[in-house]
Amino acid sequence: MKDWIPFVAIPLTISGATVPGFANTYLTVEQAQQTIFPGAAFTRVPRTLTPDQQKTIESRARVGVRSRDLKAWKVSNGGWFVVDQVLGKHEYITYAVGLTASGAVKQIEILDYRETYGYQVRDQSWRQQFVGKTAESPLNLDQDIRNISGATLSSRHITDGVRRLLVTYEVALR
Amino acid sequence: MKSRCAEFKRARPLLGTIVEVTLFGADTERCEEAFEDAFAAISLVQRQMSFHDSSSVLSRINSEAATRPVPADDATFRVLRMAQLFNQASNGLFDPTIAAHLEHAGFLPKSSANDQPPSASFDDVELLPGKRVRFRKPGIRLDLGGIAKGFAVDKAVSALRRKGMMSGLVNAGGDLRAFGSRPFAVGIRDPVQPDRISVRLVIRNRALATSAHYFASRLRPGATAGPFVNPRLGRFRSTLASVSVAAKNTLVADALTKVVMLDPESSLALLQQFAAESLVHTLEGAMFSTPNWHEKLQTAA
Repeated sequence: MKDWIPFVAIPLTISGATVPGFANTYLTVEQAQQTIFPGAAFTRVPRTLTPDQQKTIESRARVGVRSRDLKAWKVSNGGWFVVDQVLGKHEYITYAVGLTASGAVKQIEILDYRETYGYQVRDQSWRQQFVGKTAESPLNLDQDIRNISGATLSSRHITDGVRRLLVTYEVALR
Repeated sequence: MKSRCAEFKRARPLLGTIVEVTLFGADTERCEEAFEDAFAAISLVQRQMSFHDSSSVLSRINSEAATRPVPADDATFRVLRMAQLFNQASNGLFDPTIAAHLEHAGFLPKSSANDQPPSASFDDVELLPGKRVRFRKPGIRLDLGGIAKGFAVDKAVSALRRKGMMSGLVNAGGDLRAFGSRPFAVGIRDPVQPDRISVRLVIRNRALATSAHYFASRLRPGATAGPFVNPRLGRFRSTLASVSVAAKNTLVADALTKVVMLDPESSLALLQQFAAESLVHTLEGAMFSTPNWHEKLQTAA
């Protein structure tokens, strides 16, 4: 490394030992609804997939169904609004998909994502701590640095998730 | 709902990563419109320059430019021009024709089986009048991955400015750019322990891009390096785990990270030529920077 200057910096841990990783919260469910369908009204439609529906979705979408309970809302304009979670190797992402009345993707918004390394993400109680978190109640992480250079997080799991939701729409919502 | 200056953030899955836009503004509605424009600008670049999407302009060039000149859209042609500039300025180190090499290494989907890596380089790509592209040899496949993501960030920033946004930041999976007078604290990820920040700095009206090995080597068991190919040697060669470059725009920063990754010692002059600063992590865990890193960038306490 001729002509380069040795650089010394104290490595910093961005968070405490209990909640490692990075987290960002963007929108609450209500905010995402108004972002994707401005001015519309939303009716929660409780829907639980039957084991048969789950099997159909899994084979057609080629991804596993993590939860049989759908978080779906019927939109006053005939569309659907669905909130879903995907779990990658290092990321836990909550996102919302707006579907038009004909079942096409109108818009995808990420509600929050958390990056993790290690066991936490597989642990139900660890995941529970994020339930109900909103943009107004950010996690207790270092708020200074939420802009990371070098974070090449993949969006592949969201792509898989949206494919699964489109099949779910065909099978259980339409 | 008027407040003095609130922070708004949105994120969408684009460019194969998570693209995040941060805005500071007083008017919620104006910010919402600006978000739409910024994401639309990025989606457009994705449709034009995706290597994976067979309907992109780039894919049409890749499949037809060996047989006839293929017209490109303004943006794709501009990025190809910039690629040519970096190719020449780096003596061929920066080379978007390495896609075929990457396919062989398993980083990109194979477009046709049993292809040997062609002995082609960016010299065999002709940028013709009328924004047309022609390949002098068959088997060339351009991959603008080393530059298009940065370009997309720049386009998003332009869209935000056109909407009158005074300050904000666009981050496409680590290639980011801050605009306006507001300073932004930014962390560079530690390539050895990716859950940590190794360096924090403050950027203002500047772009920062990082290329690194960490995720790539984990995706492919047995891979010892990221998707970096030295066009002269045609195989992986890097002593660095991570390269960050700060420059006036994200395209420049993005392209320069690839050059530094391949040849840190001879890239100092190039960095200077583009008024860019760089900080690198070696595979052994040491950090080095260009002499102007401290002058130009404020390292956060």
